[in-house]
Amino acid sequence: MKRQRVTHVVGVPDNTSKALFEALHEEPTLRVLSVTREGEAFAIAAGLWAGGASPLVLIQNTGLLESGDAIRGTAMRMRIPLVCLVTYRGYAGLSKAGNLGAIDGPLLGRNELDSTAVLTEPTLTAWGLPFSFVHGDADLSRFTQAFGAARAQEQPVAVLLTRPTT
Amino acid sequence: MMTKDELLGPLARQRSDRVVVTTMGIVRPWGRVSDSPFDFASADSAMGHAADFALGVALAQPQRQVICLNGDGSMLMTLGTLVTIVASRATNLVLFVVENGTYEVTGNQEVPGAGRTDFVAMAKAAGFARAERFADAAAFEAALPTLLSAEGPVFVSVLVAPGHEGPLGRGPEQSEPYLKLSLAESVRALRRALTSR
Repeated sequence: MKRQRVTHVVGVPDNTSKALFEALHEEPTLRVLSVTREGEAFAIAAGLWAGGASPLVLIQNTGLLESGDAIRGTAMRMRIPLVCLVTYRGYAGLSKAGNLGAIDGPLLGRNELDSTAVLTEPTLTAWGLPFSFVHGDADLSRFTQAFGAARAQEQPVAVLLTRPTT
Repeated sequence: MMTKDELLGPLARQRSDRVVVTTMGIVRPWGRVSDSPFDFASADSAMGHAADFALGVALAQPQRQVICLNGDGSMLMTLGTLVTIVASRATNLVLFVVENGTYEVTGNQEVPGAGRTDFVAMAKAAGFARAERFADAAAFEAALPTLLSAEGPVFVSVLVAPGHEGPLGRGPEQSEPYLKLSLAESVRALRRALTSR
């Protein structure tokens, strides 16, 4: 984030991003702004960009689903080059389940599957939000690439963080 | 109860180079009295997200004051933003809630709690440094210089009669200058205005 000159991190913490948020709070070169609901994060990030700053959004995938109209009407519609780091609740169970087939009511009600995880990637695809995965340190170049993609395409892109930060 | 003109006229005369973010039923009336590179219409965007957008601008531009002309229906959609604004310690934001009690651009349907919701009390409870309500044009105009010079965040509720503004659009056919650009072009124009030396 420092190499990409991020000025503000806007979001809501969760278990997966706990260590990352703690590290960010210790970092003097950028500001962390906690919001009350994830949709707010995208509007604030859009305003920050309009004001000349370089924000990043950091939320959980549950909050991503909550943010639909805010993403559509602010960051997407305004074509803000914005990286959104999304922690992927339920990824491990989703990976174990293999091919799930069509999404329907019975699938979303299955106890061993987190319905948030089931809906995350199809929702991003439906919204036209490009995404990539970071499973560990070996994938961190994808994080850097996401900044380049956001700037080149002038739109938000998501990076899905599948394991807890430490 | 005030008219929109009684709110916007004094504000247009006194806003100087402050950023003004408008939304919903105030977008066109403001565009009829102002043509500034620091105007931004939260139109063709996401309802309820003008105040948080304005907060972002304020945080990126701490040396410049930002005014948001929000609606009561829009404010109700994101009440948590009152808390976020205070927690952000943005001292350069003045948040107006234009209370007409209706969703004006969709036909003046009554908003939940119209006439009973106390936005000023909510703003005070959230911790706003200053929160005031106005229903009289002369009192509002007299107080405006103080409201604009006070250390914020400042919250101002203005009781305004419902108007008859219709749904908003953007494009070259629009008569208000800041609606002629697309939303993406408009946000870039604001960024250029705010970052050019």
